[in-house]
Amino acid sequence: MMLARDLIGMSLHNLLLHKIRSVLTSLGVIFGVGSVIAMLAVSEGAKRKALAQLDALGIDKVIVYSKKPPPEGKNNSNQGVVDSYGLHSRDIANIKRMDNIAGVSVLRDSRCSILRGLVKLDAKLVAVTPDFLTESSSSIIRGRWLAPADFFNSSMVCVIGKNAKRKLFSIGTTNVVGKTVKIDKYRFRIVGELENDLGANYPELGDPNDMIVVPDTTLYKLMQNYSFIMNRRTMAITMVDCDLALIKVKDISYIDDTSKRITAYLNKVHDQQDWGVLVPLDLLKQKESTQNIFTIVMSSIAGISLIVGGIGIMNIMLASVFERRKEIGTRRALGAQKPDILFQFLIETVFLTSIGGILGILTGIGISQLITIYADMPTVYSSWSIVLSLAISSFVGVVFGTYPAWKAAQQNPIEVLRAE
Amino acid sequence: MTNGNDDLVRLIDLKKTYFSGPLAVPVLKGLNASIKRGTFVGIIGTSGSGKSTLLNILGMLDVPTSGHYLLEDIDVGSLTDSELAVIRNRKIGFIFQSFNLFPHLTVEQNIEVPMVYARVPAKERRERAVKLAQEVKLGHRLGHRPNQLSGGECQRVAVARALSNRPAFLLADEPTGNLDEKTSGEIMKLFHSLHDTGATIIMVTHNPALEAHFDQVIRLRDGQIEPNLPEVTR
Repeated sequence: MMLARDLIGMSLHNLLLHKIRSVLTSLGVIFGVGSVIAMLAVSEGAKRKALAQLDALGIDKVIVYSKKPPPEGKNNSNQGVVDSYGLHSRDIANIKRMDNIAGVSVLRDSRCSILRGLVKLDAKLVAVTPDFLTESSSSIIRGRWLAPADFFNSSMVCVIGKNAKRKLFSIGTTNVVGKTVKIDKYRFRIVGELENDLGANYPELGDPNDMIVVPDTTLYKLMQNYSFIMNRRTMAITMVDCDLALIKVKDISYIDDTSKRITAYLNKVHDQQDWGVLVPLDLLKQKESTQNIFTIVMSSIAGISLIVGGIGIMNIMLASVFERRKEIGTRRALGAQKPDILFQFLIETVFLTSIGGILGILTGIGISQLITIYADMPTVYSSWSIVLSLAISSFVGVVFGTYPAWKAAQQNPIEVLRAE
Repeated sequence: MTNGNDDLVRLIDLKKTYFSGPLAVPVLKGLNASIKRGTFVGIIGTSGSGKSTLLNILGMLDVPTSGHYLLEDIDVGSLTDSELAVIRNRKIGFIFQSFNLFPHLTVEQNIEVPMVYARVPAKERRERAVKLAQEVKLGHRLGHRPNQLSGGECQRVAVARALSNRPAFLLADEPTGNLDEKTSGEIMKLFHSLHDTGATIIMVTHNPALEAHFDQVIRLRDGQIEPNLPEVTR
């Protein structure tokens, strides 16, 4: 056997002799690997985004929320009737007393319309407990969070979500801390601006960025637990004690048990479906399993394209063996052993597919960048997908290079020397 | 030499038969010959005489059906494919009618090829290739590729390549077959000068006009060696 260094040098030399042919040959692998990288990046990006959203809700939490029960036939016009439904403060107190509960953060929607001029904005005035900022994983970007004194004194102050600010104030207004905002007949002084960059989205209440939050004591002082909704023709009074509770458990392992217990309790106490339970951890698991299926399907498609690419390379290499019969015969006459010829061709194929793999990775990164720019989808390429693609592409080279290389080594030098 | 035997090559009742289906075609019908070290041997025969088959067997690209081919008293018939390749590499210097140079390699790289298979370190390879190129008067052409050389120059590169592992003998297959008369003369002169330094050369040709160059002539006809006429042997 010849020296490995000479073998590798010889194979590279041969590939560089036919640069265009080499690139065209590995095109199948380039696009195969490129699609693998791009698909994995897209699916990983979608996964991260979904996970981040669920994560923002808090995987150590059980979320219970009030929802308007389906209307019953006999009472379809609620005119003038107090519509009372949802979680009661008694429910929250009972849940708080359950085992393994670390804390409960309560949110209540004022159901006030927030107007700019005559336009109703997609924003909500929400009453919260002091721990809302941390429990929702939000952060203050200007000013301050609601202080204990604000809760104690039921102060007329609010913290405004960054999207709500954008909707409420004219373009270019950066600092709104210290300004007042008028909602219904109430005026609140803005003490801070909050941001939730994880994309949390609460059932019924939506994104914290769209909220204007005030102390729960303030809202209670202003309107107890009533809220008035005035349409053009009807006026409804809705009475909801609590719209949403973020129930934090002491440890993630208690999630299952706690959510079951809460569900059982609410089932017992409520005679209508005016509540819901959401377990972010369960959603996370579901999401992960669907993502895994997606990834498996994607990988299979990519695998097929790599097989197609590999077959293409095998074809070209077989043609190349035929074309280079005289070279093979001469090398054999000059003292090349069968393994020398075998490895020469095998290494050439592995080089082809590996170079194809590297170009494919670059192509894949390019494709996913384009997807990010033009389709506005987040893409993430993990280092393992790059390592995996490289490993797979050289493996494809070994699998599809072995037969042509074996064929080359089996060439009878007498016959190939005679064929001129 | 060590055993006091001057014979480099000995053929003992060498037979080669090709089988095509049920048909047995005898090509070599029992050859007996010996070649001493340092002789310039011509194997002369018309096409169909079996000289190509004999060339392949002498070059260890083929094995005899029966009989023995002894090279330095080693019976080649008992060796494996890889062992044959090693002996081809170390003991035999092939020279082909159509040169068989690698078109994408330079003169120097072409000369190096057999040494690559002999695992000679790169530095030594280069030194030996340069020296051999100078010996065949191509020292100024080291970086050229075969398509930039004339036919005679190509064949000189091939001779240098054949010499690179210091083989036991050179095996030339019609080395002047693709060359014009003048260039042929030059190549024959090159062979003679190698012969003068002690090289063993076996040349296969159909051309009886070359007979005068050889120390020993093996004349093949119809798979058998014709008895030598006394005046041919010098």
